[in-house]
Amino acid sequence: MQTSKRNLWITFGVVVICYLFAMVFPFFWVFITSFKTSGEIFGTGAFRVIPENPTFQNYLTILFEKGILNSIKNSLIVATTTTIYIIVVATFSAYAISRFHFRGKNILLGLILAVSMFPQMIITGPVYNLFLHFKLLNSFAVVLPYSTITLPMAVWILVTHFNQIPTALEESAKMDGATTFQTLSKIIFPLAAPGVFTTAIITFIASWNEFLLTITLNPNPEYHTVPVAISFLRTQFEILWGQVSAATAIVTIPTLIIVLLFQRQIVSGLTSGGVKE
Amino acid sequence: MQKMGFKGWLFVLPTLLIIGIFSLWPVIQSFTYTFFDYRLNDQQKAGLYVSERFNASLFNETQMYVSMFLEEDLANIKSEEDLNQVTQLKKDLMAADKQFNGQKGVIKISKQEKSKIEHLHKSAKELVHSLNSKYELIHKDDLPALVDDLQNSVIPSNFIGLKGYKQVFTDNRIGIALRNTFSFTVLSVFFELVLGLGLALVLNKAMFGQGIVRTASLIPWAIPTAVAALMWSYLFNGSSGIVAHFFEAAGLVDKSQNLLLSGPGAFASTILADVWKTTPYMALLLLAGLQNISHSLYEAASIDGAGKVKSFFKITLPLLKPSILVALLFRTLDAFRVFDLIYVLTGGGPGGETETLSIYAYKVMFAQTNFGYGSIIVMFMFVCVAIIAILFVKFLGANLMEKN
Repeated sequence: MQTSKRNLWITFGVVVICYLFAMVFPFFWVFITSFKTSGEIFGTGAFRVIPENPTFQNYLTILFEKGILNSIKNSLIVATTTTIYIIVVATFSAYAISRFHFRGKNILLGLILAVSMFPQMIITGPVYNLFLHFKLLNSFAVVLPYSTITLPMAVWILVTHFNQIPTALEESAKMDGATTFQTLSKIIFPLAAPGVFTTAIITFIASWNEFLLTITLNPNPEYHTVPVAISFLRTQFEILWGQVSAATAIVTIPTLIIVLLFQRQIVSGLTSGGVKE
Repeated sequence: MQKMGFKGWLFVLPTLLIIGIFSLWPVIQSFTYTFFDYRLNDQQKAGLYVSERFNASLFNETQMYVSMFLEEDLANIKSEEDLNQVTQLKKDLMAADKQFNGQKGVIKISKQEKSKIEHLHKSAKELVHSLNSKYELIHKDDLPALVDDLQNSVIPSNFIGLKGYKQVFTDNRIGIALRNTFSFTVLSVFFELVLGLGLALVLNKAMFGQGIVRTASLIPWAIPTAVAALMWSYLFNGSSGIVAHFFEAAGLVDKSQNLLLSGPGAFASTILADVWKTTPYMALLLLAGLQNISHSLYEAASIDGAGKVKSFFKITLPLLKPSILVALLFRTLDAFRVFDLIYVLTGGGPGGETETLSIYAYKVMFAQTNFGYGSIIVMFMFVCVAIIAILFVKFLGANLMEKN
C-alpha cells in the first residue's frame, strides 16, 4: 500500500512537472532570446541558455523605434472601451432574460448562442464596406464590431450568474417601493458584482486578443493593436527574432499580471460560460 | 417570474440593436454578395448592380479629356471633312455632358440614355480610328483608350445568380482548404481532448500544485493567438528554432529547415501550437466538471468491488459527458474557424498546404478584393459550422440551454 501510494505520487509529480515545463518553456526561451544579439541568434550561440553578450538593444529598438508603446496604448483604449459598453449593454439584457418572462426569450437566447458560433469572417466583408461608406476605417470605431465576439459571451455568463441570485431579495425591495432600475442598481448589481467583474475580465482579454477585425478595418499602423502590430514585425524580407522576442516579452506582461491577479474569476467565468455546474 | 412590460424590452433593446447591426445584418449582406460578381478593385464591379448603371463621374471626366485632346490635335487634322466631324463629336459630347452635369458617382439611367451613350462611343471610336490612320496625332495612344472609357461608364449588371456557387465545384483550392480545415479540426481537438482529460484527471487527484498549474494553464489561453503563433514560428524556424532543432535531433524531421518548409511538417507545427495553446483551457473546463462529481459515488463503487478502470468508464465518463460535449462543441467550432494562428505561423503555406477555409476566404476577399467569391467561401463555412453545431446539439445531446 505504502509503495503504491508513493508510486502514484511520483507519477503525478512527473506529469505535473512535464506539463509545467511544456507550458512555460516557450516563454522562457523567448525571454532568453530577447537578450541575445542578432549575431548570437543566427550563429552558433542560438541554443545557448545564457546569452554570451546580454543586451537591451532589442528592447530599446522595440520601445522607441518600432512604436510598440503606441500599439499597447491602442489595445488599452480598444479593450477598455469594449469592456465598458459591452458590460453595460449585457448587464441590462442579462437581467431581463434572467428575471422577466417574455415571448421569444428562448429565441433570443438561441440567437445569442448562434451569434457566438458565427465564423468571424462572415461579418468582416460587410462591416468593411459599412466602415468604408461612413469613413470609419482606421479609427477606434472598430470596437463596435468587436461586439460580435464579446457580447454573446458576456450575456451568457451574466445570465448564469444572475440566475444564481435568489429573487426573494428583489421582491422585498419592490414591496418597499423600489423601481426596477433601483432594484438593479441597489440590490442586483452589488450581489452580482463578482459575476460582472468576471465577465469584464473575460471580455477584456477577448478584445485585447482580437486580430481579424483590426487587421482588416484598421490597415493604418497608427491604429494597430498589439496582436496585429506584433504580427507585422515578421516581414517577408527580414526576421529579427531578437526584436520579436523582446516585443513578445513586453506584451505578455499585462496578460501575466491579469492572470496572476484574477485567476479565480477567470476560471469561474470560463466554467460558467461553457460547463454547467 | 414576472411578465415583461414595455420597460423590460428597453433592457434588451441595446443588445438587439447591436447584434442586429453588427452580426445579423452582415450575414444577410454576405449572403447577398454571393449572387454578384462583386470586386472592389474593378470599377465596373465595385457594387451590387441588379440593373445597368451609369458612372456619371467617369463619363464627365472622360468627355472633358476627349474634347481637350481633340482640341490639341486640331492642328494635325488637315481635311475639312474630318475637322467638321471632330467639331460635331465635340458638340455631341458637350450635349451628353450637359445632361449628366452635376451628377456624381454611379447613377441609374434609362435604356434610351444608355443607347445614346453607346452610339456616341461607337461614332467616337470610328472617328478616332480613321483620324489615327490618316494623320500623326499627338495623343494617338491615349485617345482610343479614353474613348473606350465612354463605354466603360455604362456599367452592366454584375448579378450572376448561382454561377458563383457553381465555381465552388470546380475550384480545387476550396477542396484542399476544406480538407485541411477538417484535418486540423479533428486532429487538434482530438489531442486536446485526450491530453486535457488526462491532465484534468491527474489534477483532480493531485494534492499539490493545483494553484501553480492553474496559473501556468491560463497564460497560454490568455495571450493573444497572434503572439503565441509568432512565438512558435520562432521556435519552429529552421536556423535558430530550438524546437525544430530538437525535432531534428530526435529524428522526427530529417533537417530542421524542413519543418516549416514541408507540407506535413508545417501542418503538424500548426496543430502542435494549437494544442499547446488550448489544451490547458480544455483541462480547466473538464476539471471543473470532475470536481462536481461526488466522492461518495466512487466510494460506493469501490465497496461494490469496482476497480479504478471500471469506475472511470461507469462513473466518471457518463457524469462528465455533458461537460465534455459542451467543451468539445466550442473547441470544434473554434478550430474550424481558425485564422490568426495559421495566418501568422505559416500564412497558409508552404504552397497552400496549411491553408484553411478562413485563410482562403480572407485572401480572396482582402488580397484579391473579390468580395463575391470570398462571400461564397464564407457562406460555405457558415453552413459547415451550422451542421457541426446541429450534430452536437441534436445527435449527441449537448445541452447548452441549462436552466432555461
